Amino acid sequence: MSPGLPPVSPTPTSAAPGGAPATLPTGYQAWAANVGELCGLIEALRPLGAALGVPDPTGTEWYGQLFGKLRPQVTREAVLVAAVCGGTNTGKSLLTNVLVGSPITQSVPEAARTRCPVASLPRGMAGRIDIASLFPGFTPHEWTGTEDSLGGGAEGDDLLVWREDPGGRQPPRLILLDTPDVDGTLRENWHRAELVRNACDVLIAVLTQQKYNDAAVRDFFAAAAAARKSVIVVFNMVDWPRQRERIGGWLRTFTAETGIEPLAVYAAPHDFTRAEAGELALFALPELASGMTPGLIPAGPIAEAQVDLAATLAGFDFDRIKLRAMDGAFRVVLDSRSGAGGWLDAFESSAQQWQEAKRLLADEARVRVDLPAAPRELVWNEIWNWLEPRRSTLDLTVSWAYRKAGGGVRWVARKVGLVRTEEERREDFSAVELKALKQALGDFIERLDGACRRSERLADMLGGVLVGGDRAAWYADLERRHAALPIVSEHYQEFVRGELDRFSRENPEMVRWILTGLNVGAVARPAITVGLGLAGAAVVPAAAASAGGLSVLIHHAGDVVVGTAATLAGEGALGLTMAGLKPLIERLFAGWSAERSQVLAETLHDVVLGGRLDEIDRLATAAARPEVAQVRRLLFECGREFT
Amino acid sequence: MAHSPPSPSASSAPAPKPSSSLNPSLPQAPSSAASGAADDLSPALFDDSRFDELVLRLSRWSGALPDWPPARRTSAEWEQIAPRLERARRELSRVLVVGVIGGTGTGKSTLVNALAGRDVSPAGDVARPTTTTPVVVVARDVDCAWLPLEATGARVVRSDSPAVANIVLVDCPDPDTQSGQPAAEQGASGSPSGSRASDTNRNRDLLEAVLPACDVLLLLATAQKYRSWSVAQEVAAFAPGRPLLFVQSHASRDPDIRDDWRRELEAQGFLVPRIYRVDGLEAARRAQAGLEPEPGFAELVRAIDEELVGRAARRVRRTGALDLAEWFVGQSRQQLAGLREPVEALAAGLRQERLRLEGLLAKAVEERLRASRPAWQRMITDELVDRWHGGPFAMFLHTLSAIGAFWPRLRAGRGGVISQVLAGGAAAPVTSAHAAWQSVEEIGLGEADVEQSRSILVGLAARARLGEPLVGRARLSESQVQTTVGTLLERTGSWLVAGIDRLVVDRRSRVDAPVVRMVCESLFSGLLVAVLVRAGWNFFHGHLWLGKPVEGLGFLEEALVWLILWGLLLRWLVFARLRRGIDRDIQSLLARLPQAGLVDPLLADFASAAEKTANFLDEGERLAAAAAGLAAATGEITGNLGRLRGGSP
Repeated sequence: MSPGLPPVSPTPTSAAPGGAPATLPTGYQAWAANVGELCGLIEALRPLGAALGVPDPTGTEWYGQLFGKLRPQVTREAVLVAAVCGGTNTGKSLLTNVLVGSPITQSVPEAARTRCPVASLPRGMAGRIDIASLFPGFTPHEWTGTEDSLGGGAEGDDLLVWREDPGGRQPPRLILLDTPDVDGTLRENWHRAELVRNACDVLIAVLTQQKYNDAAVRDFFAAAAAARKSVIVVFNMVDWPRQRERIGGWLRTFTAETGIEPLAVYAAPHDFTRAEAGELALFALPELASGMTPGLIPAGPIAEAQVDLAATLAGFDFDRIKLRAMDGAFRVVLDSRSGAGGWLDAFESSAQQWQEAKRLLADEARVRVDLPAAPRELVWNEIWNWLEPRRSTLDLTVSWAYRKAGGGVRWVARKVGLVRTEEERREDFSAVELKALKQALGDFIERLDGACRRSERLADMLGGVLVGGDRAAWYADLERRHAALPIVSEHYQEFVRGELDRFSRENPEMVRWILTGLNVGAVARPAITVGLGLAGAAVVPAAAASAGGLSVLIHHAGDVVVGTAATLAGEGALGLTMAGLKPLIERLFAGWSAERSQVLAETLHDVVLGGRLDEIDRLATAAARPEVAQVRRLLFECGREFT
Repeated sequence: MAHSPPSPSASSAPAPKPSSSLNPSLPQAPSSAASGAADDLSPALFDDSRFDELVLRLSRWSGALPDWPPARRTSAEWEQIAPRLERARRELSRVLVVGVIGGTGTGKSTLVNALAGRDVSPAGDVARPTTTTPVVVVARDVDCAWLPLEATGARVVRSDSPAVANIVLVDCPDPDTQSGQPAAEQGASGSPSGSRASDTNRNRDLLEAVLPACDVLLLLATAQKYRSWSVAQEVAAFAPGRPLLFVQSHASRDPDIRDDWRRELEAQGFLVPRIYRVDGLEAARRAQAGLEPEPGFAELVRAIDEELVGRAARRVRRTGALDLAEWFVGQSRQQLAGLREPVEALAAGLRQERLRLEGLLAKAVEERLRASRPAWQRMITDELVDRWHGGPFAMFLHTLSAIGAFWPRLRAGRGGVISQVLAGGAAAPVTSAHAAWQSVEEIGLGEADVEQSRSILVGLAARARLGEPLVGRARLSESQVQTTVGTLLERTGSWLVAGIDRLVVDRRSRVDAPVVRMVCESLFSGLLVAVLVRAGWNFFHGHLWLGKPVEGLGFLEEALVWLILWGLLLRWLVFARLRRGIDRDIQSLLARLPQAGLVDPLLADFASAAEKTANFLDEGERLAAAAAGLAAATGEITGNLGRLRGGSP
């Protein structure tokens, strides 16, 4: 029972029927605040839950009770909602009209014609309460005529027709509803009936001998019993009095199957003529109702006093019924398996799966790109450019003379076709490099495909890209980016200058060596690893990770990390004689190569994967969000108070 | 409403026994009904050979692409349909099995009792559900051992009532009291758990085990149940190929809801020629009292007699079979409809990638051929020289050619296909994947290019739900490389050889005319003769006659030089004509490249898969048209029986 709820009184309290709302129990405000906060948090987490692949809770019992029952009512005027529910063509609309005392909904011979609920409000209530928030999921629509209930509205647009009682006889806090069927071929009717069931306190179950044990009917009322709704059973279309003896057996089956303990049981004889005239005779069966108070319900036919059932409803202890319904609703919400906790478990376990998926992606989706050897003069030219202002005039003159002589020799060699021009060599390099990048992209796609095969989660997230994505556009994008990349970018020149400046500050002696003894070293083919940077530095080889400038490059790619492992080799490698210089040269070459493979990283990030990596990251960390802990805390606190 | 095929529980029902052992005991249609006219059904009503052909084509079609998942699904559904069609064909004359179905409390058992003329099935309002085991009502002299209902625990009851004399009537359990979702609608929320009487209720399972044995469904509904969702689900699952009789019961209590029910049924896809309206209780009472049946019931009995007995039974079974075939092909088409676009996209992608690869190939071949101009020219000259014999100029050309042979031939490259071809050899077979890629690089197709195309196509194929083994992966395996790239090299080699040969022959024929030869020989011989005459004149006239001293070797040397120069000039003139327009030749050679299908081996799996799937979809369309045509030719022959319309959306 909820905190501080008053002891349930077996007799009507002084507050009922109608009049001022009952005094709210102590602690009720705090309880209401918890419910409000819980609803807010769950609503905030729901989109994330959907993204995680957790089944949508909106169709579940606990969600229906929390949002359809508890939230609308904890902070509002305590009204009692009674709804007439049952299968198709069992006479719900007729009974509603009889209860209200005037036709508000059309009763027709055809089945499943009531498409939207019709609510009869006590006079003056419409101005006091917000009908939309009392019946979540429905769009309120003021009553214009009895045929309103037949209109319904398209799926997804659930109308609720309401009207204030014109006679003024309806108890001030009682709302009566006619609902669509729970077993017909139009499934949206089921949904609407379920929404009404969640929102109401009392169900008037209209059963017939054909339908009292139908699975769809049973399931509907069993859910109501689980939420501790109060139920009044009306057996309609009874062959009276021949079947009077049968009703006990039917009711036993119904209550055993659904767990319902009816407040009252009535029988309505089958009388087509009277039904056509909008009349219904009701016989009370007090011996069958567990919650029925002798004397309260008149025995014998009450057809002449058609509002009597409504009066009976008005005579019930509203607060007791209401608290019982709210208590029941809360039980459903707090159920550790089928309640909100169960949903949160699924939420966390799904986040855990995403974490595993993220790890798998980081391990699997990593591709080694075998780039062609960098045209070494590109890097060396940059070094020379940096050195130029630092060299002596003599040095420069000698160097100039050598360069001229070398240039002449090269010119001749080119003319006779022995040596390709620099332009041609760059074109060759570019073509080979593009092929390597394309092959890496192909590898990447294969690896992603493999990862998707191993993880259902990844398949959900990336399968669409791999299957539906325009791969030709990916390759075209890579080609475009590669074509637009200058062979030496300004960014790289800046990087080289920065690196060399730093180096010269730290090793002034060595720079002197460079100035005198710099020779051309050959650089081996660099191997670049492009990976999805979810595992952090593990993907980045040591050489690259230590390069300050490169980390800028790495960050540029967002989630896609480019690491470079370049090795130096060759006869002229200064590293052999000057150990300190080797890492510098390595970094310079690595930086250049990393920039080249950056285009692949960009294509992967911008075109192939889009924002999916961010999304995977978001999902993998979903369970760690403070809202989740807060929901857990609230559920725990509510549960503790409850027990 | 989506119609699902018979549920798994239906398919797990015992299979019908072989007909050979059954036929002798099969109750045949009464001779009065079948006599004389039994086989006079006009071909227009039902053309057996056309139907057989349709079934054969459906069978072939459904199993045609076992490796394609959508086709596999079609095939699995066919496996369920085929035995029914086969049975319908084999057992045309057998009496019909009529299953009475409907929600609990609609009066199924009451109606069965009325038709049987006595209480054969428990009926009433004491408890729901009333019928928990099927009850089979048959005439006294009918052996119904062939009915595959052992597993359902069905009870067989004999009846002498004329209403069931020529049919087998089955009182089925209801579909709406068992909890949980029907097989057709698994996955939605279940019912609350707990130990309840309904937990042991298996009525719907039983119903799904009984219905496969039924040929006709008698659907019973009341004002409360004619819009029941659970009943509609079961009927939709079992109605394909089973004509129906629609009956509203509780006629004396309920209003007439037939118009509204008809609208509901039509919305579900049924053809509803007629709905009967009976009061089962009254009918049963009258039947037991031996009184005249009430009019509604009498109409129903008459309908059974007219629509389901004798010749009509054959008609019903044939119509059912045809409906089933049409429904199957319609359903399959619906399922496959979404694949048409991806399959076409794959074919379009294939064309595009083929063009791209051919473009790369053409570009590289063109560059190579242009760069190999000397080798190309040498081929042409060699070809011409080989054909010119006799005469001093020919001797001169041969001499030059022989001298040229001493020189190392200027090769186009280092052993590539084009070089080999231009050098007059054939492409060497590849021995490893690496070697294959190296050889293929020369003709412009790198591993990366091929992989790019294949990766794009793998994506497109996946959209069409095509995967291994129908199509391969983006990266070719070692063995695949050897075969596909090997084939590519071989084809390219032979295509180049053929193309170049043709061009060389064509070019040679331009100058290889007798006139040209005669002119060349005359011009060359003219100088030779002039030199010889000059030398003879000098010797005979000048030296011997006039006694002048013989002119020295100087003249001969000079003459030889002039002769060689003259010969070379003539040769240059002849070959200039040959050499002019080699670029044009290369262009014309490359223009024929797309027809050669050189890159096809690299994408052969995709081409084959695209073709097979497109054919599969096309055949599906043709079969749907054939089934619809056959149905149209057969016409509406079921009188007052309802049918589920063919699956064509």
